[in-house]
Amino acid sequence: MSATGARVRAGGRPSGAVRRWDAGRIARVTFMTLVALVFLYPMVGFFVVALRSDASVADGTGGFLGIGGISPAGIAHSWHEIISYGGSDTPHVYLTWIGNTIFVAVTGAVLALIAALPSGYALARLRFPGKRYVLIVTLLAMVMPNTVLVIPLFLEVNAINAVGTLWPVAVIMGFFPFGVYLSYIHFRTAMPFELVEAARIDGLGEIRIFFQIALPISKQAVALVAFFSFVANWTNFFLPLALLTSSFSEQTISVGIQSLISSSPLFNPTTAAGLNVKLYMPELALATAISTVPMLIVFIVAQRFLIRGQTLGAVKG
Amino acid sequence: MNSPDTRKSDMTSETAAPATAVRAVPATAVRRRGRNAVRGKEVLGAWTLMVPYLVLLLVAGIVPIAYALWISFQQSPTLLEPNKTGFGGLQAYVQVVSDFRFARSFGDIFAVLLVWLPIMILAIVGLALLVHASPGRFGRIMRFIYYIPGALGGVANLMLWVYLLNPSQSPISGFLSGMGFDTIKQVIATRGDLPVILAAMLLLQGLGQWVVTVNGGLNSLPDDVLEAASLDGANAWQLAWRIKLPMIRQWIGYAALLNLAYGFQLFLEPYLLNQVASGSLPAEYSPTQLGYWFAFVGNNFPAAAAMSVIIVIITLAIGLVVVFRSGLFSVEEN
Repeated sequence: MSATGARVRAGGRPSGAVRRWDAGRIARVTFMTLVALVFLYPMVGFFVVALRSDASVADGTGGFLGIGGISPAGIAHSWHEIISYGGSDTPHVYLTWIGNTIFVAVTGAVLALIAALPSGYALARLRFPGKRYVLIVTLLAMVMPNTVLVIPLFLEVNAINAVGTLWPVAVIMGFFPFGVYLSYIHFRTAMPFELVEAARIDGLGEIRIFFQIALPISKQAVALVAFFSFVANWTNFFLPLALLTSSFSEQTISVGIQSLISSSPLFNPTTAAGLNVKLYMPELALATAISTVPMLIVFIVAQRFLIRGQTLGAVKG
Repeated sequence: MNSPDTRKSDMTSETAAPATAVRAVPATAVRRRGRNAVRGKEVLGAWTLMVPYLVLLLVAGIVPIAYALWISFQQSPTLLEPNKTGFGGLQAYVQVVSDFRFARSFGDIFAVLLVWLPIMILAIVGLALLVHASPGRFGRIMRFIYYIPGALGGVANLMLWVYLLNPSQSPISGFLSGMGFDTIKQVIATRGDLPVILAAMLLLQGLGQWVVTVNGGLNSLPDDVLEAASLDGANAWQLAWRIKLPMIRQWIGYAALLNLAYGFQLFLEPYLLNQVASGSLPAEYSPTQLGYWFAFVGNNFPAAAAMSVIIVIITLAIGLVVVFRSGLFSVEEN
């Protein structure tokens, strides 16, 4: 961070003003901490609810945020309810949804990589007519929220009678213009043009230059594209909702959690009355919390690349 | 490379960003072009490398838009003729625009945007400046905490809000019952609450990643300018207000436009809140929900397509402004 650099240099100056606990600094630290607490408070409470028993939540016991109400028996019961959801027709449908989501998210991320790395390289380091238009279309597709295309995509997939199957979702998720832009920036900054020129003089063809020179130095881009694409795919709701709702066991977890919500006696007593499985807040929270675990794993794996990628100015909602 | 290698869009440096990060770096002399054959190979190689991406762009971007455009000019089915097809001109558009929910759904979105966008932009800029004024571990930890809710993503975030808004077990149940609410349905469905709730949801979810993004823009400001200002006796406030804020103007515009575009396509939150409120909200609260209704409830694909085309045009217009006017992207041939 540049601010860190500034402080190091400021340390050399005799004033030392940067380190002093003046009113401004106290106000800043206090305010930022307060905002952080506002962010953390509901999240901690939410993850605690996931670990409590139905009775403890219903009675409102457990003290501050219900932390005292955490019980292994409650967790075991909640997990049993989640896993029993779906009945005998679609046993363990929760796990099926997780598996489906892993399939579409991983396939989508691999396709995004296969598409993004070579095209990002070509856009960054090769000269060809029409490049400007490919770039403009990519940037436009990147800054437009991807949900605006969902209904058109549904109409397209419906036209080929593939609604309710997973593979169209995975293929569509492979279209990840942000990944192309990330790779484009990566090759522009990390790969000197001279390298391409030198490889040409050595007699390498354009395709081989990409595979032998560019690809080996694209670890950073691979990590970023894979991470952002995986997370976007994992949390995508509207696309699987439109394309997969018609088939109960072919849904992804985000659409599945919607089914859990609509089967909960908390919100839909009439539907829930006919079900053996009772999904109260602890069950819903646990099902949600478990569904975020894969994202946590990829986050931890990719985190050292993240701050850089997140600041490429290409975040989309 | 014939034109300067503009690195404007690479506002990424984690380390002390030199002035060159925002300034254009002149490339070395114009490189002499080889024989035409070499040039031809380069062009062929470029397009070959782009084939996987172009295929996906066609399949998941251009074809669906073109197809939706075509469908939107077809005749809509009616009760008497459910299989009616054929060219319908602007019929579907007229039907969509004259639907009583059309104007209302855009009004709803404007209500949300009106509450949310100003607070969002203020919070993004304020927190980004505060994080930037906090060097070292404290700033990094805060930036990370602000980021977590956004990383959880759509449905998880919604569940978090269900937990927050359900008076029977909410950690803010005292506040909710003080407002006179006993059930989550009352909280969500009471008139006037929804824009505020949606604004709060979008704020919590989106704030962190935008703080990181704008903070990245701040990190790429040339150090010497900031240093010169503080040597001239500018305090932290003056530094933020007079120096940093004007320099990240384009990032603020970028954040405002992208969040505006995001607001227009709002779907997940009002859609799922309606389920949580056992259907007591309008099922076609936002324009995207209305498009969904046409496709899945009304079985009127031309109208659904027309609705999508309208939303695509609006977000495309915003996107064009972002790409060509924000100054963050250089799309010049290089």
